[in-house]
Amino acid sequence: MSKGRRLQASTQRKIDGTLFIAPWIFGFLAFVAFPLGYSLYMSFYQVQITVDKVVYTFIGFRNYREILVLNGSLLYEELFPFLKQALVMIPIILVFSLLVAILLNLKFPGRTLFRVIFFLPVIFSSGQIVQEFISQGEGSLSVLQSLKIDSYLQEYVPGGWAGPITTVMNSFVLILWYSGVQILIFLAGRQTISASVYEASRIDGSSPWNTFWKITLPGLVPYIFLNLLYTVVDLFTFPSNPIVSKVSTANYGSSSALAWIYFVIILAFVGLSLLLYSRVDRALSGTRR
Amino acid sequence: MAKTARELLERLPVGRSASPERWRKAASASLRMLQRIRYRLVGREIDQGIVFKTVIYIILINVAFIYLKPILYMATTMIKDAKNILDPTVIWVPKSLYLGHLKTAIDYLSYGKSLLLSFVIAGGVSALQVFSCAVAGYAFARLDFPLKRFWGTMLLFTFIMPPQVVILPTIMMFKSLGLMDTVWPMILPALFGHGLKGAMFVIIYRSFFSTLPKELDEAARIDGASAFKLFFRVMLPLSRSVIVVVVLFAFVWNWNDFYLPSIFMFTSHDVPLSIALAREAAEMKLDEGAGVMTVYGEAIKMASSFLIIFPLLIVYFFAQRWFIEGVERTGLVE
Repeated sequence: MSKGRRLQASTQRKIDGTLFIAPWIFGFLAFVAFPLGYSLYMSFYQVQITVDKVVYTFIGFRNYREILVLNGSLLYEELFPFLKQALVMIPIILVFSLLVAILLNLKFPGRTLFRVIFFLPVIFSSGQIVQEFISQGEGSLSVLQSLKIDSYLQEYVPGGWAGPITTVMNSFVLILWYSGVQILIFLAGRQTISASVYEASRIDGSSPWNTFWKITLPGLVPYIFLNLLYTVVDLFTFPSNPIVSKVSTANYGSSSALAWIYFVIILAFVGLSLLLYSRVDRALSGTRR
Repeated sequence: MAKTARELLERLPVGRSASPERWRKAASASLRMLQRIRYRLVGREIDQGIVFKTVIYIILINVAFIYLKPILYMATTMIKDAKNILDPTVIWVPKSLYLGHLKTAIDYLSYGKSLLLSFVIAGGVSALQVFSCAVAGYAFARLDFPLKRFWGTMLLFTFIMPPQVVILPTIMMFKSLGLMDTVWPMILPALFGHGLKGAMFVIIYRSFFSTLPKELDEAARIDGASAFKLFFRVMLPLSRSVIVVVVLFAFVWNWNDFYLPSIFMFTSHDVPLSIALAREAAEMKLDEGAGVMTVYGEAIKMASSFLIIFPLLIVYFFAQRWFIEGVERTGLVE
């Protein structure tokens, strides 16, 4: 009797759950899965749009070959420098936002004011406004220019990397602008480490430096990776990303192929960071328990 | 360091001839004073010393200046008239106030219509997303449905996927529905918990709902509440802090978004503010190319930027208290 009722409760739960998730799944099928499959389909075809209908001609991998081999300038000369730039930017964004989040978490007079200011980028950085600011030359740090760092870089940094690093240097302020959400995530994550742990470590006579490395940082590892993921996703839909504007209605077939190549690159990036995360997490939980 | 010093002191071979007691007392007194000075400067804990506080303030003020500078630049540039722009002694604060650029910018942007459209898109999408993403996030966190793990992976997949991959078929879809050049392509996906960064909001809700205690469900079930009642009467009221965060994010991101409107509304006559700004910039460049040189260009651009940011600033000004609190309290993420 009681078993039957429990079973009933669990089926009831399942029905409720299905009802709640149904709209999302419908949306997923309509706005994600179907378009995704369709763009994969189109990437193997030559798509011609006439006045009253769309003509598809199967051309196999020709779209991909065009982008990857025959006409690789877009991929190799525009996207790859951007990816290198992204690789330089990601650690800077992470370290900077971690630093600011930890500072903002401390108690000091005027904290509220600083918080209000530091959340301003969240509001502006997603828009055209920042582009406007960059074009006004607000993006670079004049200190770096006066130190002539770029000439040193040209000399000492191996071949293909000097360019991206210089670009990153020149848009350093911009990087700070783009770390608004990351600061938020770290700040939220910092709240999850309970105050009693800090108290215990203080009583045990741990120095602040040790406390940071042994308590704060390990506690923030999940958030570091969440931020890594977010930053990767965010950078790949950056307005300055060369691919974004190339996916256009001018040529449905090859644009779809390009989008898919791009997507595979992103998946590789994300997969890599997830792999790294699982490794670090396992190592940490090994020492913790 | 102080500890090792004292140890050394104790190990010191104190001669029998000098009175060792007094010697030691004096030494320990001076040590204590040193300690006190050290505490004053460095602090018992790292965030209490003067040195540390000064360093923090220096860093924070510097970064805050970086964040504020473009805004100050914008505010001061847009009120400069020709005399002030050309005057080399005027860098930041203009000598007189001129509001003509604002007027020009309002004309350029056709501000009334664009503002209304921006409000419809940002307001509509955020209102829908805050609800539909909550429903989905709730299901992911606390309910059961077939293939839950699979759909969880799909949620992550949606979060990672750049919109460019699906944009072309979506265009074709909305074209066949006859919805191009309207606001519906932005709003319709939001109804189902998708739309701009919808997956992220679902993830935020999911992590919030999974932190609530299990006893809530049990208590409600014992009282005979259905899942819907439980959700609307108990869960939603509890999630006020997340709701603030999601509403603000959704509103701001949709307000600022350029990509989707530029795809779906490009041929439209009336466009939201983000597109209007881009069109204005293009128009001005064209004028420049045609030889119409003007010193006002930058001032007008800044005035239009201000007009676009201004509503957001107001929203943020009122919401920031709850927003910051909400970010702290919800744990925002898993």
